[in-house]
Amino acid sequence: MAERGLKIIDLRASVDGKEILRGIDLEVEPGSVHALMGPNGSGKSTLAFALSGHPRYTVLGGSATLDGESLLALPPDRRAKAGLFLSFQYPAAIPGVSVANFLRTARSAVQPEDLAPAKFRKLIFEQVEALDMDPGFLGRYVNDGFSGGEKKRLEMLQMTMLAPKYAILDETDSGLDIDALRAVGNSVRGLRKSEAGRETGFLIITHYPRILEHIAADRVHVMVDGRIVKSGGPELADEIERVGYDALRDEISGNVVA
Amino acid sequence: MSSPSSSLERAIAFAPTPAGLEAALEILERAAPGSSAATLRREALARYAEVPAPPGSSARGWRHNYADLPFEGLRWSSERVAIDDRPNRTETASAEDGEGFWSGGLFHLGSTYFAPRRTDRVDPRIIVVPLDDAAHERPDLVGPLRGTIVDWRTDKFAALATAFENCGAFVYVPDGVVLEAPILLAWAGRDRNDPEAVFPHVVVALGAGARATVVEQIVGHGDGLACGIVEVHVGPGAQLDYVALQSADEGTRLLMRRGAACEAGATVRWHLADLGGALARDVVDARLAAPDARAEISALFFNTGWQHVDLATTVEHASPRTSSTTVVRSAATDRGQGRYLGNIAILAGAHGTDASLRDDALLLSSNAHIDSIPALEIAANDVKAFHGATIGSLDEDEIFYVQSRGIARPEAIRMVALGFFEPAIARFPSERLREQIRVALDAKIDAATEQPE
Repeated sequence: MAERGLKIIDLRASVDGKEILRGIDLEVEPGSVHALMGPNGSGKSTLAFALSGHPRYTVLGGSATLDGESLLALPPDRRAKAGLFLSFQYPAAIPGVSVANFLRTARSAVQPEDLAPAKFRKLIFEQVEALDMDPGFLGRYVNDGFSGGEKKRLEMLQMTMLAPKYAILDETDSGLDIDALRAVGNSVRGLRKSEAGRETGFLIITHYPRILEHIAADRVHVMVDGRIVKSGGPELADEIERVGYDALRDEISGNVVA
Repeated sequence: MSSPSSSLERAIAFAPTPAGLEAALEILERAAPGSSAATLRREALARYAEVPAPPGSSARGWRHNYADLPFEGLRWSSERVAIDDRPNRTETASAEDGEGFWSGGLFHLGSTYFAPRRTDRVDPRIIVVPLDDAAHERPDLVGPLRGTIVDWRTDKFAALATAFENCGAFVYVPDGVVLEAPILLAWAGRDRNDPEAVFPHVVVALGAGARATVVEQIVGHGDGLACGIVEVHVGPGAQLDYVALQSADEGTRLLMRRGAACEAGATVRWHLADLGGALARDVVDARLAAPDARAEISALFFNTGWQHVDLATTVEHASPRTSSTTVVRSAATDRGQGRYLGNIAILAGAHGTDASLRDDALLLSSNAHIDSIPALEIAANDVKAFHGATIGSLDEDEIFYVQSRGIARPEAIRMVALGFFEPAIARFPSERLREQIRVALDAKIDAATEQPE
């Protein structure tokens, strides 16, 4: 059996001809929580899209494997079937497609012949309640006219329904009030406690450390200008909160000079 | 299958000429002496020759010229068949399909009306009969309406339909009668290899406070022609849902003209789905000439292959506090062509009018084309009017989002495209109809996405 983990080695990628990722090395082990932090424009979201296979993002080199399966040549749906999930910072609206229908289709695509309809319904209602959502939500069109908080809750609902092997949360905390943030934390913890999500690994992309008060990270990485410049334990997030990215950047460039 | 072979002996080759009409009149006179409406038909044919053809689309891929539509090789007949054996093969829901689902209905193969085996299924409170029977038996009801709502004198193809009318239906729902189940008027093609020219004329009248749904369905017809008139009169405070669902064969041409007149506080809801045909010209009007009348129009079409749809809707606000909502969703792929003319006219004196028109079109291939031409004409003060139109292609961010949930690209495209139609589908009046439309659209998307672009 191939070695498990979401392994990214020397990944380089560009958007619209501009190189954004300049050699990323990162490994998310099953069941672990990694936080990826960095200032705006450092390439965090590009990493999420490149891993998920967005057609606008071109991989220039390197590799990404999920439990030994190479991701980069697969279309986005096959990456999801392999066990990758991306919680979008700005999820697209799909007018005319109900949340319930979307979830059912996605679940049966990712885990075919898995749940009987009655069990699926039970699970979905449990999750809706856990996320503190109105069940009427299920009849609405996907993200169509949703508030920012509703969109992020729907991302979390999808994550728990799909129970991926690895979940990337791209700035899921941005623009959320404290209740929504708590709901996000609850769904990550809920997934990790569940049978299906016991071994899910998380890559939490964030600008601010505050989401890490709700989801404890095992490892923290700092990304600047398309590279991971520093990695450490949870204390690294505290340091960033204290000194900010600029100080960190200075420290790093100082190191480079030295 | 027991076929109505006798009708073949009473058929002629259709020709929109005086000689062609005289041949038709001979058949009509033989069937029912003295009731062929010969004078009216001759006048209508003269108007057909005089009235200019509507302009075609100027789009490069538009293949039909209204001034020069070929009508060769079409059979014209006029007959009803009172046989007990319903044909086994029907491509549409029949009046007996689904116990209690229909309040009544009329079923045609080609122009030939089949008297249903069990007419007692028609709700006893209402009238659903062939138009000629109604004209004979209830001239008091039919006389004031027939030919008064759609003006064939100014519409080339309505004139043609009047001259060669060979089937029709009359639906009457008296004052205060509220029908739960819809009324079905169905036209199925008789024989794909022996195309017919079918000229239906439907008249629907709802009394004060009545409520009903009429479902008109046209399927099959091979390389045939369906050219018809639908006139609906909605009494004070009454509500009519009229569904026109067309899934004709890919060689069929349809030239349909439908009009509604609403009395005070009445609501007419036109629901149109053009899913088939080589050319479907659909002209729909709602005239709101009494206070507080309301019109809702929901229409959708999806042109695949070489299909052309030419849709025009007009709501005329001619009285105070009238309101209307028009929602159109259209898509085209392959070499499909579409045109939509959306008109709202608010006449002087129609103060307090509230009108909206929303039209969105989706192009799924580079050879497909849809023109969208909204027109708003306001001659009254104190009115609210809105119109908005978009034409676009599929949004790659939406497709990516769906794909990122494990759904393969063709399925993602299907989901997004079907979702695009949903705002129009959702306005159709029953889940059964909505599902029928979704299934038909789904099959069309399948056929379209299988072909390499």
